[in-house]
Amino acid sequence: MKRTELVVSSLIVVALMICKFLLPKPLLFSPLVSTIVTILIGCAFLVIFILTVKGKPIERRIVFLVVGIALVFPFFMKVELPIRISPEVQQVYDKMSSLPAGSKVLAAFDYDPPSAPELQPMADAFMKYAFEHDFKVIMMGLWPQGPQQANQSVEAAWAYNPQWMPDSADEKVYGVDYVNLGFQSGNEFVILRMGESFKSMFPADLYYTAYDSVPLLKNIHNFSNIDWGVNFSAGKPGTVEWVQIAVDRHNLPMSAGNTAVQAPMAYPYLNAGQLIGLMGGMAGAAEFEKLTGHTGKAITFLLSQTYAHVAVILFILIGNVAFFLNKKEKK
Amino acid sequence: MEQFGIWLAALLTIGIISFLYKDNILYKACEAIFVGVSAGYWFVTYFWDNLYRKFYLGIQGAELSDQIFLWMAVALGVMMLTRLFDKIGWLSRWPLAFIIGATAGLYMMTYFVSNAFVQIGATITPPPSMETIGDKISFVLIAIGTFCGLIYFFFSKEHKGAFGGAAKVGIWFLMVTFGASFGYTVMSRMSLMLGRFDFLFGEWLGLIK
Amino acid sequence: MRIASFGIFILLVFGCGLTALAQDDPIDMVESEIVLPAPASKVIALNHKYDIGEILDVSWESSTSDPELVFGYIIYRSEGDNKFDSVGAVLSKINSFSDEELIPGKSYNYQIGTIGASGVALSEPSEPAIPDWELFNLEMWNIALIGFIICGAVIAYIFSAKAGRKLFIRKIGGLEALEEAVGRATEMGRPILFIPGIQDMDDVQTLAAITILGKVARVVADYDSKIMMPVSRSLVMTSARETIKEAYLSAGRPDAYSDDMAYYVTDEQFGYVAAVNGLMVREKPATCLYLGAFFAESLILSETGNSIGAIQIAGTARPGQLPFFVAACDYTLIGEELFAASAYLSGDPKQLGSLKGQDLGKVVAMVAIVLGTLAATLASAWDIEIMQKFLDNVMLGIFSNH
Repeated sequence: MKRTELVVSSLIVVALMICKFLLPKPLLFSPLVSTIVTILIGCAFLVIFILTVKGKPIERRIVFLVVGIALVFPFFMKVELPIRISPEVQQVYDKMSSLPAGSKVLAAFDYDPPSAPELQPMADAFMKYAFEHDFKVIMMGLWPQGPQQANQSVEAAWAYNPQWMPDSADEKVYGVDYVNLGFQSGNEFVILRMGESFKSMFPADLYYTAYDSVPLLKNIHNFSNIDWGVNFSAGKPGTVEWVQIAVDRHNLPMSAGNTAVQAPMAYPYLNAGQLIGLMGGMAGAAEFEKLTGHTGKAITFLLSQTYAHVAVILFILIGNVAFFLNKKEKK
Repeated sequence: MEQFGIWLAALLTIGIISFLYKDNILYKACEAIFVGVSAGYWFVTYFWDNLYRKFYLGIQGAELSDQIFLWMAVALGVMMLTRLFDKIGWLSRWPLAFIIGATAGLYMMTYFVSNAFVQIGATITPPPSMETIGDKISFVLIAIGTFCGLIYFFFSKEHKGAFGGAAKVGIWFLMVTFGASFGYTVMSRMSLMLGRFDFLFGEWLGLIK
Repeated sequence: MRIASFGIFILLVFGCGLTALAQDDPIDMVESEIVLPAPASKVIALNHKYDIGEILDVSWESSTSDPELVFGYIIYRSEGDNKFDSVGAVLSKINSFSDEELIPGKSYNYQIGTIGASGVALSEPSEPAIPDWELFNLEMWNIALIGFIICGAVIAYIFSAKAGRKLFIRKIGGLEALEEAVGRATEMGRPILFIPGIQDMDDVQTLAAITILGKVARVVADYDSKIMMPVSRSLVMTSARETIKEAYLSAGRPDAYSDDMAYYVTDEQFGYVAAVNGLMVREKPATCLYLGAFFAESLILSETGNSIGAIQIAGTARPGQLPFFVAACDYTLIGEELFAASAYLSGDPKQLGSLKGQDLGKVVAMVAIVLGTLAATLASAWDIEIMQKFLDNVMLGIFSNH
């Protein structure tokens, strides 16, 4: 390790320790500081632009650093972004709000912690809404970590309304109001078999209670006993497989929440009417939070994402302008 | 104990992010821990979810036909392990053939119906409202895009003349789609980073609520 | 089921009681206590079509009583012994019920109980019905038809290729680069990195990648180069080892083969990516090949590959990941080109025949789109009724999921 690298890494450690032990918590910038930070980021771009045009392209690590700063600083700003509801998210909400109390909803959590920043806010908002409107929720996962994510959304609902917690006045009873079937390997084959019988794929729930001993599952044999399905998906197996089997073969009315990467792949199914609405990425999650009235992390994250997007757009513009200017000079 | 977990997670996160600067000892350590822990995690998950919950609990009180299926699955699993022995290693090809065959059969129908039939139907179905000029243009664009895209992926004819022209239009449509998809993915990657920063600045440093 | 229907019945009766109590006029209340609603009529039980013989569809004509005085219907089932048990209940607006989980071949009768304020009025029992199963779902005739055409074409082309007929496949950009890239790695004395995606052997993209691996491994064996293949699925490792071994055998250099060429890392997506990234910056492969099903790791891998100056060739059918490969790699096989490349390189009659058969499928799709769009345009622009009928009955009749 070079000496400068040692110095810089030591400085970073010191800065982090100052943040951890000395700074006020939570840290919130005043409007003036927010404006100064934004202007400084803008100035950085100006310098980068001048350097690039001069034929001295900046190091890739500077790009990482600037994008990182653009992501982090908005955490400490208090700016409310206007959120416009897209028709596809509205469709999800309309379907959900048309369900009467007692409706049986199948929620498939097909993602893991890395994709949680996008999907967990959707799942949390869904769970709070489901508990509020007395839906009977059957949770499951085709990804091993899915059931844990499902439990996190239940905990988020408890944090929102402690009355839903066990031994509280308005307790949501496990096994009666909601159940977690756990993870099952086999990808789309699991969905295929569930079309015939849920029990064949989940002989017991996440906590090893036999399927038949769970009161909520007494009259649930297959998809025909489910009123609505919702899938939170970060890849395969996920929305594509659910549409192909549960929707197209077994006519399960279904909506989906996807990571932004996955969303373009789900749009053809939305346009063809196979999906009832789609929530795509952080923006979709923020819209859903707004519709359900359960403000969560997605709306908070949206400002960071907006700053980072602007940074990426500026980098693309700078790169292209410099490319064409250099090309012209060479001619 | 919880604080210890948070500190450990924060250090590991910083270790992995440090790769953006360059490969270093901290990254190497985090990489090794990540690979080891995740491999172990998967092993444990598969053991409890498959062998215990699905097989051991599933077979209890199951009908004879279901029991036979479960035992068949176990037999296929054991056959996979025969790779460990040179003389009977060939047996492991059978479960492999079973997986490939069963999946191919399932995909054939699901993709045929969901990705071909329904999509062609949707392409030729005019949208419910064809009132604005925008609706009409998008209907025509979808049809042209799908048609030219199919030509690009037609392998039985050289891409020359009008056919080649149509294929070029197809690849343009694909590139526009890729552009849109790129934008979505950038959004997704930012979200992944946001998740970690939220943890570092929120749970660990406590600077955000 | 019985408990549930009884519960619903209790709820309905309770609800009815409350409604009755809410009435201002006591005379109405007295009347409702005495008069039963008119029973449902014409109860029919029919075999549910295209199932495995476990469902009967029961339908009836609603009660003729004032709809406001009918709260719902209870469905009773008898197994031929005139002993009726309730199997379900529906609200008054519904006049059908699917009775599931029956025994195929057994005879069942049904009776409908109309729930009124003062009790339940029973209908006449239905004629006996027997749940039966069907071998074919005739509603899906359209899928069978087009399926037969395409599968028939695939089989015909396979036989044709096996008989020695040369099947033409257009040149695929990027394939020539494959050998060139392997050659470059040999010249530089640096290894070749082959990543077959992160899906298992049940993904057709992984299969295509393994086929291409066969060809690449053969060139590697011929040039005495070095191949590294970290994988994220144990089954893929098994297949990859076999494929590389065969390539070395056919090159006449079985002793140069080592099991270490393909090895398992972890199933965890980002754990795998971290390991491959580390490998790339340490071993600095001259050529990186990413062929198969990729997800979030596509950009991370190709970006790292780019940073170490490797020649990169990618191929995937995952639309979401193609943009990154297109941007960061030297050559990209887009979507089906991956499968075409696999067929092209292997020269395998089965793969070639499949590709040609699928081309016929594309012709069917293109013709359908042209005809359908034309019909829709003529129907909407000039109100030509026959075109609308053609679109609705023929085109959408064929291309829909019944």
